[in-house]
Amino acid sequence: MAASSVSSGALVMLEELNPSSPYFKQGASIRVTGKLQEFNVEVAVAVLVDGSATLKVDTQHLNLNLHMSSIYQFIGELQIDASNEAILKARVGRNVDGMDLNLYRQSLQLLRDFQADQNSSLTA
Amino acid sequence: MDALYNTHVKLLAFDFLKLTNSSMDPSSFSRNGMRLSRAETLGFVVTWELKPNKFLKFSIDDGTGCIPCVLWLNQLNSPYFSRRNPSDVRLIADVAVKFASEIQLGVIASVRGRITGYRGALQITVSDVVIERDPNSQVLHWLDCIRLSRKCYDKLSKNTV
Repeated sequence: MAASSVSSGALVMLEELNPSSPYFKQGASIRVTGKLQEFNVEVAVAVLVDGSATLKVDTQHLNLNLHMSSIYQFIGELQIDASNEAILKARVGRNVDGMDLNLYRQSLQLLRDFQADQNSSLTA
Repeated sequence: MDALYNTHVKLLAFDFLKLTNSSMDPSSFSRNGMRLSRAETLGFVVTWELKPNKFLKFSIDDGTGCIPCVLWLNQLNSPYFSRRNPSDVRLIADVAVKFASEIQLGVIASVRGRITGYRGALQITVSDVVIERDPNSQVLHWLDCIRLSRKCYDKLSKNTV
């Protein structure tokens, strides 16, 4: 991929990806984290799970060895079909086994709070 | 005002991309009035474009934005290095080639370098690359950036305004 401008993948937890979420948009660039629950080799579609939330991830453009129950992060664009089912077309991905998901979740909230503070101080 | 001028400041991408360029000094950038010249970022390598013996362009996505980076690979044929000791230039070139071989799509990289502008956009001209193996390194970087911004950068900025 050429180093042209590319959208940053917004940090999203899987449980936030529901139709009422601001992240649930056609073509939205997002970064998701979860455990590999299923992988269909024929179509290179993985299913990530985090708690009770799941997301399909199209990995056909990646050169990645996937292992069941390992934790992965993927960045890509969300495709939503007519029945509101979403699949992430992954651009990059990696195994993140060893990641502290509770720490990740808490730090993500701190990061969002910080960004909101910084943006509001600019507009104040 | 210049307390952090020669420091590699850890900045989140959304913060880095808001730096402003000084019209008086093109090598100097400002964050809320505080002059900066170097930065450090950490995140996924999400774009990659190699021109052999010239440069490697790539970008780092830290979850808050994408920072364009350029790693020069032209040390052996650039007039800029012609007056320097050839063995030093060879060493610099070898290190750059090593860094370039490590930067691949999907790796998590920590990058340091000079803040520069190219065609109106901010970028990092890379001097150091470390490939991160610990998946928690991204979270640590976020927390470092938040702490440093609140406890250090914002306070120094207030003193300069």
